[in-house]
Amino acid sequence: MDMVTIGSITEAPGAAGAALPEAPTAVVGAAGAGDTAPPRAPAARTVDAVKVYGRGEAEVRALDGVTVDFEAGHFTAVMGPSGSGKSTLLHAVAGLDGLTSGRVFVGDTDLGTLGERRLTRLRRDRIGFVFQQFNLIPTLTALENIVLPLRLAGRRPDPVWVGEVVSRFGLDGRTGHRPPELSGGQQQRVAVARALANRPEIVLADEPTGNLDSRRGAEILSFLRQAVRELDQTVVMVTHDPVAASYADRAVFLADGRIVDELRDPTSDSVLDAMRVLGG
Amino acid sequence: MFRLTVQSVWARRGRFLLTAAAVVLGVAFMAGTSVLTGTLRRAYDGIATTNLAATDAVVRAAGSVDGDAGRVRGTLDASLVDVVRRVDGVAAADGSVSAGARLVGRDGKLADGGAHQAVPIGMAWLPTAELNPLRLVAGRAPRAGTEVVIDRASARDAGFGPGDRVTVRTSSGAARYTVSGVATFGSDDDAGGAGVVAFAPAAAARILGVPGRVDAVRVAAAPGVSQAEVARRVGSALAAGGRHRAAEVVTGRAAVEEELGTGTSGVPFMEALLPVFALVALFVGAFVIYNAFSITGAQRVRETAVLRAVGASRGQVRRTVLVEAGILGAVASVAGAALGVALAHGLAALLRAFGVELPGGPMVVGARPLAVAAATGTVVTVVAAYLPARRASKVAPVAAMRDVAVDRTGGSIRRAALGAVLTGLGVVASVSGARAGAAGPVGIGALALFAGVVALGPVVAPRFIRAAGRPLAGLRGVAGELARENAARNPRRTAATASALTLGVALVVLISVFAASARVSMDANIDRNLRSDWIITPLQHQDGLGPAVAETVDALPETGSVTTFRYVPARLDGATVSVAGIDPERVEQHLDVGARAGSVRALGATGIGVGHRVATERGLRVGDRVTLRFAETGARSFEVEVVYDLSSDPLGDFVVSQEAFEANASHINDQVVFATTAPGVGEREARTAIERALRATPTARLHSPDEFKSVVAGRIEQLLNLVYVLLFLAVVISLFGIANALALAIVERRREIGLLRAVGMERGQVRAGIRWEAVLVALLGTVAGTALGLGFAWAMVTALAGEGIDRLAVPGTRLVLVGAVGLVGAVVAAALPARRAARLEVLRALTT
Repeated sequence: MDMVTIGSITEAPGAAGAALPEAPTAVVGAAGAGDTAPPRAPAARTVDAVKVYGRGEAEVRALDGVTVDFEAGHFTAVMGPSGSGKSTLLHAVAGLDGLTSGRVFVGDTDLGTLGERRLTRLRRDRIGFVFQQFNLIPTLTALENIVLPLRLAGRRPDPVWVGEVVSRFGLDGRTGHRPPELSGGQQQRVAVARALANRPEIVLADEPTGNLDSRRGAEILSFLRQAVRELDQTVVMVTHDPVAASYADRAVFLADGRIVDELRDPTSDSVLDAMRVLGG
Repeated sequence: MFRLTVQSVWARRGRFLLTAAAVVLGVAFMAGTSVLTGTLRRAYDGIATTNLAATDAVVRAAGSVDGDAGRVRGTLDASLVDVVRRVDGVAAADGSVSAGARLVGRDGKLADGGAHQAVPIGMAWLPTAELNPLRLVAGRAPRAGTEVVIDRASARDAGFGPGDRVTVRTSSGAARYTVSGVATFGSDDDAGGAGVVAFAPAAAARILGVPGRVDAVRVAAAPGVSQAEVARRVGSALAAGGRHRAAEVVTGRAAVEEELGTGTSGVPFMEALLPVFALVALFVGAFVIYNAFSITGAQRVRETAVLRAVGASRGQVRRTVLVEAGILGAVASVAGAALGVALAHGLAALLRAFGVELPGGPMVVGARPLAVAAATGTVVTVVAAYLPARRASKVAPVAAMRDVAVDRTGGSIRRAALGAVLTGLGVVASVSGARAGAAGPVGIGALALFAGVVALGPVVAPRFIRAAGRPLAGLRGVAGELARENAARNPRRTAATASALTLGVALVVLISVFAASARVSMDANIDRNLRSDWIITPLQHQDGLGPAVAETVDALPETGSVTTFRYVPARLDGATVSVAGIDPERVEQHLDVGARAGSVRALGATGIGVGHRVATERGLRVGDRVTLRFAETGARSFEVEVVYDLSSDPLGDFVVSQEAFEANASHINDQVVFATTAPGVGEREARTAIERALRATPTARLHSPDEFKSVVAGRIEQLLNLVYVLLFLAVVISLFGIANALALAIVERRREIGLLRAVGMERGQVRAGIRWEAVLVALLGTVAGTALGLGFAWAMVTALAGEGIDRLAVPGTRLVLVGAVGLVGAVVAAALPARRAARLEVLRALTT
């Protein structure tokens, strides 16, 4: 239909050939960057991100100088205990919350330079977001929820692509239902489908399995992983669940607003170990 | 529990603000109305009290008929005054005479010439000071027939003083007088806004009424004789003299009592009309309150469930909500009552702006009307909150643990059935009532119909909104789609919000269509039945045209036939009817009376003509006898000589010859004069001649048939505009209701709006969505209101077909305008909630 759609269609196959499954290593900070072959520009990154809530005695430094790259075509898990700043980081990248200092980029766009309206459009056109709960508009059907960002942009959804997303998420036959008529797992699948429907540059998921039992949770995580493997999607997920983190290509650990560790190809055991070290 | 409730109301005071506004406005209107009518009533009562302040007894004609323009009483022979004076215990007695009299200003125009203004009073100067309400402040009493005393307000406004020559216009014609003095009415400068002209006692009857007759005899008792005693003595003296049949005696106090509350001029109109609009405003407010409590109840389901879970009984939950409503209602009502005092001034200014003359002086703010208004407001609030309270009490304790689902109920079969039955009954009653020409069933049917529509609202609302909102999705994309779904998502709420607007719009449409129909019907009537070329009418009914107008116009060579119409009320089988006096020989040269049987020409001294509709109702035919009771002459029998079709103005349902009229009426005063142009005379020539002849009668108005149509139309339009302004408040309250419902819904949908913003809905789109939601709700209310209003208007016009309003006219442009006002109003009402929704902080909306 227009530039954005065409852009992602033409970009996807080429990029998929080059970068799957094991992408080049981009590392926290500047140190390890660029020692392996052709690095893709990160889908999003922060530079010395600081976020302070409150003032004086009540001051909380939710983010305290976070510099991190989120590699394109990768599945990154952001981990940490509650209050570590992981959700704040995700909200900052999504343009939902501004920084006190430092910078956030999505692609080449510095979010700090964008006004309210352009931030909104960025969220609509370039970002997909999955919340822990309350992900859907109750008055719209599943399908209408999935194509919501496209419709908000005044674009006609590509029926082939939407059909593929719907069947990939096992939602065939459920598209005409409204959220209250769907199970929790189905609702969350609709939410993930919505996040992917406009082929965003980056999908941000905030505890997407937090409200689900382990089986439904595993389903959602597999879908996210598939999206990265098969569709060359970039996914960043905040979680405190080591099992969830094990689906990711990389886990980044936050504590007290700082990045304290990271793991490549995490397993639930290695994540647990890392957390134990952090906790002790 | 009570303290908890007070705290909860206080904590949510912001949320209650708009709800309270609806109550405040309704109560303010009601309080303002009662303060104003109370003030007017007191002013007019003051006139009656001042008029008879020191009068101990009144002798008056026993016969009276209550006509449209107040009570009409017969007259007494002037010789009675001397009879009364001679009664032992009577210190003094004067014959009183009064009728309309207008002072002509220096510029030749009437000093007090507005069509709606209080009619100036002409009266006999009463020689006995204690019987005379007038107090001289300059000059002296009128002695000669060419002298008058005028009130201080008129003297000041027109710049007249003792010695000045003035023209005064009465039913006997205009004449020049010398001002002998200036007086106050009691201690006021005029009689409650009306000017006063007092004529010399000997001349008053000739100028104002019938020579040798007086309206009443006022009696002052001798020292030491009580009012009751003097009345008794005068009564027996009259009985002894054989005069008891014609006259009756009442004490001065009793005469004043009778007058209280029956003040003339604008009061009856205002007292009947204003409270109706106040009630409409309160009723609309009730919908707003119902809705607000429904919404807050739904929002607090979890809170209520927790209360129930920890052991609160259903009754306690219900009482909590009702006490909340009571607090809100009481606070808002007290504020409304206070605002009402200010509003009373506004209403007075409004009525004056529409040309209704009101007495000056300060507002009389009584504690009682304010207390009544405040109490009504509180009760209405509590009653409106009852259903939501009951619903809240039905919340199950387990709801505390569940996610709250959107209330989509509305289309229950019971409700649909109830609504359908009520609507059906309403339609049947209205239609059959209309066909039968009975206003009662039409009114009851209208009420049932409205109740039915309210009951059906939740069933119809989602279907209507989905259908009407279909183009929105294409027009406004997903914002339009969401607007549609949000408007349809809670049918009960949407229906209640729309119902408030429905009522206001229905009334506006009803009045508009009715007025247009009245106008078109009258126009058609004039076109169909009028053969005359000229119509002459008085400024006001009380002025009349006198005998002079017809005589001078008839004498003009430019006119052909001239005929006159006069009216007198009479009693017929316990009902008051208006009897027209006509000229049987000439009337058909001016009007097509549509005789069905007999002939107008046959009306002699004892003949009567009856309109076809009344004749059918009463089973009257030519040759039957009808007995009418007149104030002046008592019962008189007539023989039906003609049954005719044209029972609208200027004939009415009963006509007699002028000869019969003069034999039975006391004040003989032409109300309408028709004239034709003489053959071979041009229209302009005739007009110039008639206008010149009318120069001596500044209260007379000359119209061609077309001009007459536009005069009637103008009068209808003016009344219509006043009604619009009064109904406007009800519409404003219903718009408040829309704003309130939206504001509360936004609180409810915080997270939804947050989510929409998070996935990329722009602020403008959020605002558009809410605006369109308001428009859809308003559209529902407006369409339903227009449909109801049209239906009611049809029923009313059909029911009144016999009264001369026999054509239904739908003023299309005006109705479109009414609809547009509703929709634009909704957009304005939505502005603030929309702004607030668009400004929600995305993260906070999502996480709290």
